[in-house]
Amino acid sequence: MRYPWAQTGNYRTSYRQDTTIFATYWEQLSLWVLIAALLVLPRFLERSQMAVVDLIVIYAIAVLGLNITTGYAGLINIGQAAFMGVGAYTAALVAPYLPFWLTLPVGGLVAAVAGVIVGIPSLRIKHLYLAIATLAFQLIFEWIVGHSPALEQGGAIAMPRVTFLGYAVGFRNHHFFWYYVALVVLVLLAFAFRNLLRTRYGRALVAVRDNDRAADAMGMDPGRTKLFAFGLGAFYAGVAGALFAYWSRAVVIEDYMLSTSIELLAMAIVGGLGTFVGSFLGPAFLVLLDINVETLSEWIKSFGITPAGIDVASGLRPLVFGLVIVLFLIFEPRGLANWWRLLRSYFKNWPFKY
Amino acid sequence: MTYFLQLLVSGVVVGSIYALAALGFVLIYKASRVINFAHGQYIAVGAFTAYALAVFLNMSVWLAGLIALLTTALLGFLTERVFLKPMVGQPIISVIMVTIGLASVIDGLVHLTPFGAGNFSFPAFLPEGGIALGGISVSYPQLLAVGFTALFLLLFGWFFQKSTLGIAMRAVADDQMAAMSLGVSVEKVFALAWAAAGLTAAASGLVVGAISGLNLSALTAIGLKVFPAVILGGLDSIAGAVVGGIIIGVLENLAAGYLDPFVPGGGTRDVFPFVVLLLVLWFKPYGLFGTEEIERV
Repeated sequence: MRYPWAQTGNYRTSYRQDTTIFATYWEQLSLWVLIAALLVLPRFLERSQMAVVDLIVIYAIAVLGLNITTGYAGLINIGQAAFMGVGAYTAALVAPYLPFWLTLPVGGLVAAVAGVIVGIPSLRIKHLYLAIATLAFQLIFEWIVGHSPALEQGGAIAMPRVTFLGYAVGFRNHHFFWYYVALVVLVLLAFAFRNLLRTRYGRALVAVRDNDRAADAMGMDPGRTKLFAFGLGAFYAGVAGALFAYWSRAVVIEDYMLSTSIELLAMAIVGGLGTFVGSFLGPAFLVLLDINVETLSEWIKSFGITPAGIDVASGLRPLVFGLVIVLFLIFEPRGLANWWRLLRSYFKNWPFKY
Repeated sequence: MTYFLQLLVSGVVVGSIYALAALGFVLIYKASRVINFAHGQYIAVGAFTAYALAVFLNMSVWLAGLIALLTTALLGFLTERVFLKPMVGQPIISVIMVTIGLASVIDGLVHLTPFGAGNFSFPAFLPEGGIALGGISVSYPQLLAVGFTALFLLLFGWFFQKSTLGIAMRAVADDQMAAMSLGVSVEKVFALAWAAAGLTAAASGLVVGAISGLNLSALTAIGLKVFPAVILGGLDSIAGAVVGGIIIGVLENLAAGYLDPFVPGGGTRDVFPFVVLLLVLWFKPYGLFGTEEIERV
């Protein structure tokens, strides 16, 4: 190709080219620009805004994991928050003895083990039954934590402050420090995810989702693939949970309940189930939406027209959340990732319509 | 022995509430292969509608209950028409998520009424006390629960065996394509199943309200207890829903009675059904009476 930057279409002549991570130089360039922008982002934001950005990055990690299990392998998982919780509680238990960059993978690994165990029923059952099995795991997890004296019966377990390279992370730089940690983790795990999809293990996931019997006939091992999907998805959740524990400075069961699992599923679906960009767009959209709904309900309350005994925020938040899920599923089942795709193709083809 | 029998009897009572709820759940699944995560919210809507009518409009509880049953049936019907119809042919996860979203919407709407937080109880409409037999006592609201379940069972039994619509529903559950080509309106059947589910959900809401009072989170939690019941009984079996519901109710009560002293904090009744659920999925995924799905490539 004489001018690779001026390509007008895909000119792939080998499988190797077909499976590259970056199809064009523009894609590679825009990714580096994006990462640079994310690195300097904290310069322009205040501490409270950083807290929100941190939350988005952490949820994006968990949603990436959910996209492996549910989006790519098609195993419905209503227990992702419980895996986050396993990671968070593991991190809380080992944090006094280990540096934080070790507790994160340890949390992930323990969650992965839990994921494989929970995934065992997936060898026999699928779809609805599997959804119910993961739901049962979520509820049993909540109950066990709530009844374990070692885990404060679900009450707050404080996370120790960390020092990194002799530099103590305190109140002022807390959100900035964890932003960079979470960002590095997210970039690493996202690259791993992207690369996984190019390998035979990644393609086996998709094959098992589309038809596990056919995948079996073609020589893949659906059982092992399903356990692998559960374990890996739970690993991502565990790392996200450990990060969440550090970010919120304490581990409380309320952060890892069924409602969080549902929120994570909603993020994956609103972003676009089984898409890479969707794993980032979904969390960003829903976290920002939730904050804006809260502001809105404060605004409504300021008029003083709502009767006493009615909490506008606790009504409006689930209402808007549910409406967003339902409307997306009915009108745009492919999620925000589809809008992103349309936008991109618009610019690619400009000035032509298609 | 009396202790055991008392646990057993109150287990049957709780179980018949689960059975009522599970009945509606199974009806929807049987007709349209949809799992309804908003079932607990239907229960709450039915119970609070009856409460609002009885307290704010001073209706008699029986009349308020009847209107609540019909309102919730209408809600079920509308749900199917508005939310589930566009989802035909979509992957299972989308359908599940729509009902989860719907549950969230109803939760939000209930929170915008005065019923969101706090406990309420129906004005007394049954005589105090109950029946005592050899040391085992059953209160009148508890008798009502068992009576309601029996009544609905008879009703549905008659409906499915004798009425044209019921036979049409069984035909659709059996083979959608074949039923369609014989002139059964599948659309009508789906809507009807949802309406019937709303009806039974409201019935269980009324019973819970009469026995232990109304509280939003307690009512919606019944929607989760339905899962162990229906999985144990078999997702697509109406008899299974009843048997499963009662077994889960009894097991849960026995667990609470005998295991609680050994567990820090107690409360085994909240988790035991889900442990049973996992065991059932492990050893007998299609439950006691469910149809096994056989797949061929």
